[in-house]
Amino acid sequence: MDLRFTETQEILKKMARDFLTTECPKTLVRKLEQSEEGYSSEVWRKMAELGWMGLIIPEEYGGIGYTFQDLVVLLEEIGRNILPGPLIATITSTFPILEAGTEEQKKELLPKIAQGELILTTALLEGDGVFDASGVAVKATPKGDDFVIDGTKLFVEMAHVANHIICVTRTKDGTSPEKGITLFIVDSKIPGISCEVMPTTAADKLCEVRFQNVTVPKKNILSKIDEGWPIVEMMLRKGAIAKCAESLGAVETCVETTVAYSKERVQYDRPIGAFQALQHKMADMWTAMETSRYLIYEAAWMESEGLPCAKEASMAKAYINEVYKDTAKWAVRLHGAIATSDDHDIPFYYRRSKAADIAFGNTDFHREIVAQKMGLA
Amino acid sequence: MDLALTDEQKVRKQEFYDICKELEKKKPPSFLGFETIYEYDEAWEYNLYCAKEFAKKGWLALGWPPEYDGKGDMMDRVLFAEARGYYGIPGVDIFGVQMLAPTLLQAASEEIKREFLPPIARGEVMWCELWSEPNAGSDLASLSATAIKKGDEYIINGQKTWNTGAHKADWGFGVFKTDPAARKHHNMTFILLDMKTPGITIRPIPYLDGHAPYCEVYLDDVHVPAKNIVGQEHEGWAVVNLLAGFERSGINEIMSMIRGLEDLVEFCNKTKRHGQPLAKDPLVRNRLAELACELEAARALAYRVADLQNRNEMSLMDASAGKIFFSELGERFAFLATDILGPYGQVKTSRWAPLDGVWERMFHEHFITTVSMGTNEIQRNIIAWYGLGLPRIR
Repeated sequence: MDLRFTETQEILKKMARDFLTTECPKTLVRKLEQSEEGYSSEVWRKMAELGWMGLIIPEEYGGIGYTFQDLVVLLEEIGRNILPGPLIATITSTFPILEAGTEEQKKELLPKIAQGELILTTALLEGDGVFDASGVAVKATPKGDDFVIDGTKLFVEMAHVANHIICVTRTKDGTSPEKGITLFIVDSKIPGISCEVMPTTAADKLCEVRFQNVTVPKKNILSKIDEGWPIVEMMLRKGAIAKCAESLGAVETCVETTVAYSKERVQYDRPIGAFQALQHKMADMWTAMETSRYLIYEAAWMESEGLPCAKEASMAKAYINEVYKDTAKWAVRLHGAIATSDDHDIPFYYRRSKAADIAFGNTDFHREIVAQKMGLA
Repeated sequence: MDLALTDEQKVRKQEFYDICKELEKKKPPSFLGFETIYEYDEAWEYNLYCAKEFAKKGWLALGWPPEYDGKGDMMDRVLFAEARGYYGIPGVDIFGVQMLAPTLLQAASEEIKREFLPPIARGEVMWCELWSEPNAGSDLASLSATAIKKGDEYIINGQKTWNTGAHKADWGFGVFKTDPAARKHHNMTFILLDMKTPGITIRPIPYLDGHAPYCEVYLDDVHVPAKNIVGQEHEGWAVVNLLAGFERSGINEIMSMIRGLEDLVEFCNKTKRHGQPLAKDPLVRNRLAELACELEAARALAYRVADLQNRNEMSLMDASAGKIFFSELGERFAFLATDILGPYGQVKTSRWAPLDGVWERMFHEHFITTVSMGTNEIQRNIIAWYGLGLPRIR
């Protein structure tokens, strides 16, 4: 047992921190939130040069071939700084291709993803807004050598700039909701697809994506017809851990920024950080951060080692969801009025804590998975 | 990052679990958790029996250097604590084995080590701690009991309090003012004393549930050989700080809660309310799952602390954070479990009490972890001052 980062991970972490500090200052974050695209193609290109989109893509497909655990180290840094854009959407949409794609699909897509030439996203949620299979109603109907997709997907991250959408569809009404789910890799530029950005708390460009008689060839099916749900579960699990890492990084910034400010801000002739009312709150924020950290690392390690970790991944996500919201809330509170201003950086983190909570399953969704896995009847 | 155990560690862990599982079968009815060993003779006998069994295996000297007949390393201590916690097995004297022995190894003279370590390893001598006083709790350094040197003896006078199991202990370790004129933190000495020495009076303090795991100890002209000290004379505060750093991962307590949760899940699966298993109640599921997440977070942090200790590094912050977290988790668990049990949550061990009444006990016992070993408020100060570098007003 050794809970320290490897040398590779330390290098990756430092490189990411330096890069983001230089290339993604909060002035840019603010600009991107207000922009239509929601990301900077220049920063995207530079990240591609660093190999981030291909971090976990094997070398034979043009990636770097790092482990899932290494990815978690990178995402923690991204969370610390905040990086608007489709990086996490692209990486998490790469999981199903890596795990279930045909050789042809892998050869066609993975090298381009690694090069930063493709932006991907996944369309799972619909009107019900639930993460389980019962929420999937968008139909894909066979027609000759093709399928025709019809219906509306919601909360699809960065779909407005994506080149491909992994679309989760219903191809059969089975005995249970999990049966009859099929995944398609859909070129987002083909006729019948329209996209509209939804106004959201974190301005993170979640989209409504309408599919109207969209024809997709059979060869674009990911995994098997009607049997796609386990792939979605895998993606939700890995995506949840990935999001946990990003949230952990954000929590670090909330704690560090608040502690630093409390040492500078003077009231009643002393730094406000000298007051125990604030000290104990900050000690609690730090404790919440550390308890989250090792739970997340545990889940990441298990995932990396290929160990079954549905329970641990859900535990980590359910836990950090609440820790992130609470820590960001207290970061605003302890700063006082100044952090309620939109000019301050802390509100970025507060608003994103809600988005992070929902992405890849909210707290109650993951608690139910934990309840099942811990043996409750 | 690698959380895997080595093959040898897996084998040893299995052995720890196997032996503890066997010992579990021998629990007398009056043994209902660690604190009960100080209350019932039968439970105390069971504690001594387990100690002897562990001693036979060399497990009371895990992590000690070979020249003192030590065996294994710090990681083995952690795995052993895990097994004991899971099965709720006593026999490892928290004061002798867990606190004093590592302190002696680091700070005592060769003579003292040779005299006091072997009986601890053999499970023969049980210890208690003589620290707090009526007017020196969190601010321990303001203590007033004195040990004045006369010839080759110290003569001790004063009162100590909150001494867990002092009435059962053979020996005690404590801090006493040896140089009352000197400045705070440089005026006390860490002294070992035989609890049978004339002049010692021990009185039980009733705990809020009517049991009596704690005592107060009165010392009137108690003569102790001057050689029985640990560390430098008048520099006992350094020894106090050293001792406070040992065995702080909390893995034992956490594993005990993990077992408690497993038992509660089984209870919820078997017990029907409104015509269906309690386990089907979405509120029960959500609340138990929330607790399970927190428990896993506590376990993961405990391994972090253990990992640091195993490499002779120590993060005061992580140890304090872990202590705050698992002890307050204990409170939440006690409240939640007694809540889920409904009206039965208030029933003491009896034929009406589900799960042997353990949760009714826990409703009281959780204070033992939040208040002792440095209150959680003191732990928050430690994190704020020494960890986050926040200014301290004196």
